[in-house]
Amino acid sequence: MVARAPRPPLAVLLSVWRALFLREAVLRIARERAAWLWLLLEPVAHIAFLIFLFTAIRLRVVGGIDTAVWLIAGLLAFFMFRRPAQRAMGAVDANQVLFTYRQVKPVDAVLMRAAVEGFLMTVIAVLVLACAGFYGLAVVPADPLATLASFAGLWLVGLGFGLVASVASELVPEAGRLIGVTMTPLYFFSGVIFPLDRVPQPYRDVLMLNPVAHGLEATRLAFAPYYRALPETSLAYLYACALAAILLGLALHRRFETSLVTR
Amino acid sequence: MILVEDVYKRYHTLHGPGHWVLQGVTLSIPPRVNVGLLGRNGAGKSTLLRLIGGIDQPTRGRVERRCRVSWPMGRAGGMVGALSGRQNARFLCRVHGHEDDIPERMASIEDFAELGEAFDEPVSTYSSGMRSRLQFATSLAFDFDVYIADEAISAGDAAFRKKAKRVFRELADHASLILVSHSAGTLKQFCSAGVLLERGRARWFDDVDDAIGAYEGGLPA
Repeated sequence: MVARAPRPPLAVLLSVWRALFLREAVLRIARERAAWLWLLLEPVAHIAFLIFLFTAIRLRVVGGIDTAVWLIAGLLAFFMFRRPAQRAMGAVDANQVLFTYRQVKPVDAVLMRAAVEGFLMTVIAVLVLACAGFYGLAVVPADPLATLASFAGLWLVGLGFGLVASVASELVPEAGRLIGVTMTPLYFFSGVIFPLDRVPQPYRDVLMLNPVAHGLEATRLAFAPYYRALPETSLAYLYACALAAILLGLALHRRFETSLVTR
Repeated sequence: MILVEDVYKRYHTLHGPGHWVLQGVTLSIPPRVNVGLLGRNGAGKSTLLRLIGGIDQPTRGRVERRCRVSWPMGRAGGMVGALSGRQNARFLCRVHGHEDDIPERMASIEDFAELGEAFDEPVSTYSSGMRSRLQFATSLAFDFDVYIADEAISAGDAAFRKKAKRVFRELADHASLILVSHSAGTLKQFCSAGVLLERGRARWFDDVDDAIGAYEGGLPA
């Protein structure tokens, strides 16, 4: 038998990514009865509930823009970070069975989970914005490119978070619990439902260390240029944090690859 | 040809490094020879298979695969319970780079596995015999040079074992099998050579009967 040439590494990588992406998408969309519906309803219900709440307390305007638009932009942006982050964090644990195939590495599972989640969140964001637009809200982004840039930045931060957290939670289970606990405060400290400009100065600087807060403000500013965003808002900071987290995450995956597979 | 050179392996536990499972295993497994792997529970058979399969790395030493080696087929691992047999098989076609001719390969997998309607049911509903049929059927669709199986054949029924034996006889001119089993009958049925794992070391026997003899002779009466 003539020895066949092994496939080039890049071809293996691409076919593994393709297979994982499709598998992940199938499981996410069609695992349970009407799973795709819940995928969509969860963020919609979340947004609708908050809009109802803010209308009830008669808060009409935040930072110079309609509260509903402020909420929709902020929540979609926050989900763009949180959903990939949380799904990617559990990717290594959930895909243990696939590491039976030496072509599949833990980092592939994390990357593809984040990719599926980012893809689904994009579809959901478009649907939510279209619905809100039909309802008469001014949700057409004034600067679509800037909107995409901040969404992408938030997704990248979520990916970096997931890469680091997936290794940490596998190697030190306590770390996984701690990271899970930080998610709820992060919701408040990122200014999703509480405008950060109400926070007095020495503390606001501390809150603005959180890259997600920058991403949310940048998204709102991209939706409405007259929005009074926090002056500290910086997309560059968002992307720098994403880059740092992704590099750290990839390094951790490289270093601990064997321990992730053998557990 | 698979080369295992002076391989040491130990796992890390919550209480620090565990004991050595393999201590200086050196083997060269020639092509086209079916090898049975014997040893008591915990002797390191599955560990050695995982190292040969490339899904784990030795603590010290080296494993070299100079051919295409399948994944270690076992009773449990490798299939996603929530997906159907068909979805799992299609996933594996993609992972192994056969995106272009999925329909043909799926047909041969479906044909060999003989799962009937269960092929479209979630794998979590399968019995262990059905799982190993699915694993074997899938791996046979990829033309590996060496198939490695961890107790997978013994999970199948007599008809399946007969069929597997026929297939491996047909493949004998270019493919071989490395098999872990506790059943002397299965080993004699499939293998010509044997490897006995004892106290972290491996002994090669050209005849599987001698390996079985040495294994049973070494057991406490």
